[in-house]
Amino acid sequence: MKRRSKGNTRSLWVILLALAMVVAACTAAPTDTTSGTDTTDAGDEATTTTGDDGTDTTAPSSGGVSNPDTFVHAADDEPTSLDPAQVEAGEGGETVILQVFDRLVEFSPDGPDLIPGLAEEVPGDDNELISEDGLTYTFPIRAGVVDHLGNPVDATDVKYSWDRALTMDLPESNVGLLADNVASTEAPDAQTFVVTLNQPNAAFLNSVVTQAVASIMSEEVVEANGGVVAGQPNEFIATNPIGTGPYVFEAWNRGENMLFTVNEDYWGTPANLDLRMEIVPDPDVRVLGVRAGDFDTIETDPSFVGDIEGAEGVTVFQGEFLLEPIHIGFNLNYSEDALPDGDTVAADFFYDPRIRQAFNYAFDYDAFINGALGGFGAPTPFYLPQGVLGYSEDLPVYSQDLALAEQLFRDAGVWDEGFTVSVIAEEGNLFTTAALVLKDSLEGLNPAFSVNVLAVAEAQFDEAHASDPVPYAMWVKNADPYADPHAFMSDYIDPDGNWGQVHGFANGYVEPDQIGSMIDDASVITDPDEREAIYQELSTILYDDPMWIIAGNEVAVMAHRDWVQGFVMNPLWPRPSLKFALFDKG
Amino acid sequence: MQIRDYVLRRMMVLPILIIGTSLIVFTLTRVGGSPIGIYLSHEMTPEEVAEIEERYGLDDPLPVQYLTWAGGMITGDWGWSGVAAAPVRQVFPDKLGATMELSLAAGIVAVTLGIGLGTYGGARRDRLPDHLTRVFSISGAAMPIFWFGILLLIVFWVGLGWAPIGRSDADLFQSISHPTGLYTIDSLLSGNWNAFVDALWHLTLPAIALGFGTMAIITRMMRSSLVETMSEEYVDAARAKGLPEKLVLRRHARRNALIPTVTVIGLSFGFLLQGTVVVEIIFRWPGLGRWMADAVLRGDQATIMAYVMFTSVLFLVVNLAVDVMYAYLDRRVVLGT
Repeated sequence: MKRRSKGNTRSLWVILLALAMVVAACTAAPTDTTSGTDTTDAGDEATTTTGDDGTDTTAPSSGGVSNPDTFVHAADDEPTSLDPAQVEAGEGGETVILQVFDRLVEFSPDGPDLIPGLAEEVPGDDNELISEDGLTYTFPIRAGVVDHLGNPVDATDVKYSWDRALTMDLPESNVGLLADNVASTEAPDAQTFVVTLNQPNAAFLNSVVTQAVASIMSEEVVEANGGVVAGQPNEFIATNPIGTGPYVFEAWNRGENMLFTVNEDYWGTPANLDLRMEIVPDPDVRVLGVRAGDFDTIETDPSFVGDIEGAEGVTVFQGEFLLEPIHIGFNLNYSEDALPDGDTVAADFFYDPRIRQAFNYAFDYDAFINGALGGFGAPTPFYLPQGVLGYSEDLPVYSQDLALAEQLFRDAGVWDEGFTVSVIAEEGNLFTTAALVLKDSLEGLNPAFSVNVLAVAEAQFDEAHASDPVPYAMWVKNADPYADPHAFMSDYIDPDGNWGQVHGFANGYVEPDQIGSMIDDASVITDPDEREAIYQELSTILYDDPMWIIAGNEVAVMAHRDWVQGFVMNPLWPRPSLKFALFDKG
Repeated sequence: MQIRDYVLRRMMVLPILIIGTSLIVFTLTRVGGSPIGIYLSHEMTPEEVAEIEERYGLDDPLPVQYLTWAGGMITGDWGWSGVAAAPVRQVFPDKLGATMELSLAAGIVAVTLGIGLGTYGGARRDRLPDHLTRVFSISGAAMPIFWFGILLLIVFWVGLGWAPIGRSDADLFQSISHPTGLYTIDSLLSGNWNAFVDALWHLTLPAIALGFGTMAIITRMMRSSLVETMSEEYVDAARAKGLPEKLVLRRHARRNALIPTVTVIGLSFGFLLQGTVVVEIIFRWPGLGRWMADAVLRGDQATIMAYVMFTSVLFLVVNLAVDVMYAYLDRRVVLGT
């Protein structure tokens, strides 16, 4: 009897203990990942530093350096192609192409100025390498350049590379930059490459020649590995990039990492360290990794700054603005039947500029910029992101004005009746957040207004986005990053541009012809002051006739270990805007 | 019926089951969403979308698409993985090797500890060791894998710096050939002791995280089964014959207690594979689970269909093996009657 009651008592305690563990497991808060969990002695605290030119100014901390011979970067996504003729703009493959390939000219680490790449000089007015009519660009090619396999690379390879991209003409690529601008290419001799344009384009060097699609590879390598087939990707080049750049591609361990070694035969300043790009989609793991010292730099966004600040040995770098404002589009070209069930907006709902102004005045920019962007952002004028020619702090930008929004909605006659509209966005990122801010803003203004946020997978969003017309009245995305204002204006403002045609901007602009001609004029003028004046006037016009809600422009934020030397970011380089050959550790 | 006849009969039915499975997989995947999205870039025009559809044969009628896909599965063309940016067939073995290695390691952890703890506890019924093992097994079953995994990372990776993340040291991994896809085996075959230690070291945390929950299930099953077996009359008879308790346990009770436990182990292996999804994401293990999670989220149907077909066929084969093993363990079972 005694043994049985002892056993019962013990069993009871066991059950209680097990229950307690179950409750603890199910309700435990996430473990704090800030410096409080570090077991190392408190050393240098994480600092946020920004030099005058956006370069990092933190001195390296004492202590051992992990992986002293290799620079380790944690990327947030895996590339889909490493072929310059196939890579999509803004996609991870551009990062690799930036390290492995050269282009004729490049953006300097310090900003928008151009520096020679494989071309010995940057064509300009001072060296007569641009014809007077602005149609012909001559590039003197460096002698003695070889690719990673030792093949000589000269002007004929430059012509081959550009012609290859134009011939393949892959729909997923950015070849439109070349196709829309280039009339012909020539290599009259081994050290001279000549491009003739369809029409003068002041943004040609910035927006075309520096881009991944204009990267240069050896004809010999391509012809030995599949050649050029119109409309077909080259599987070998897509997975084995062989260029002339400071890094040699070694291996791609899918889901793990990509390995690069220093190009000892590089024509320019060689890299200091080998490179390893770790594929780490989970942002929490990237944060843990930089804190553990396994990663030297990580891609992050402002929402994770709080997890990193205060961590020993880690610096949060705040650079310049990214050139990809987050925007919400107004669709002026849809059939009411095509919209999601429940939408009540008429086909001409956004034709009235008062409606579009009212949406802009209703949007809570502070909530998005200070909330979702953690303060690492700012409003942006139409359509001149911070850092491009024409931008000025004096240009008008929208801020929330609920009284004015209400007045405009009343004047447009939709206040009492209200409306229901769906906004589609990619799930799980800032785009959905921007849509939710729009929802809160409008529904808080008037209960008769209803906004349905459709957060969908990226593939589903891309498919809807590729439709013409788009079957949604509104959608959220970020702009493609461009170095020149013409590209932004052409894509996102021009009534005859990409989105102008798909969204029917001509249906809504008060003066569509005026806007179109101003954009065309500015594109052919070479004087930057004249161009700037046109773009600024345009921006003022667009303030009263907006085709977008620009929720905000994000500041480049990067976390790196203190032992990284020479850290510099340039938003004009493909995201994450780093050239690893410039860095060292110690 | 002889075991041989039973196996032959099951193998003849197997292809029919596989074809039926493929029809269900293809239909449900296509119904679940459009296959084109993963191959699209941002801001494509309808004409560009049509080009992409033509490239991947997605503009063909559905029956043609099924036959093309099914034929490709047999001939080795499993389609193009938009997530991995490579042919599915090329990437699959590496991912499979990584997942199998992790699953095997987790299985070894789970089976070894599970049978051991279950036997230990069951042989000491209602005493302190039994209570402790039951608490241990309940905690393993109760703790979410993702929580346990992150906890292990925070403590052993970030906090103490004792354990790494990922599958390998990149330099060591690159220094050996990979004929089997299992880093541990390949390092032994290469005679590279450092790579072998590196493989085991990287396996430790994820294997513990993945195997812990399954260990709990096996422990409980083994313990319960052993307790029941220990009360059987033939066990009393063995004791009455004067056999030491250890021999009674090892030669009589445990063998019979393993019968239901083996069934659970067989089923657990399938669930282990499923559990790899979370563990692989947390520990950056480049296996099938993580690849599939990406594929599902991004609508990579070629990858999804290949994976589902593979696991379905594997499940069918494993179940056959379990049934055969069951019959071997228990001679009283007359197969098929």
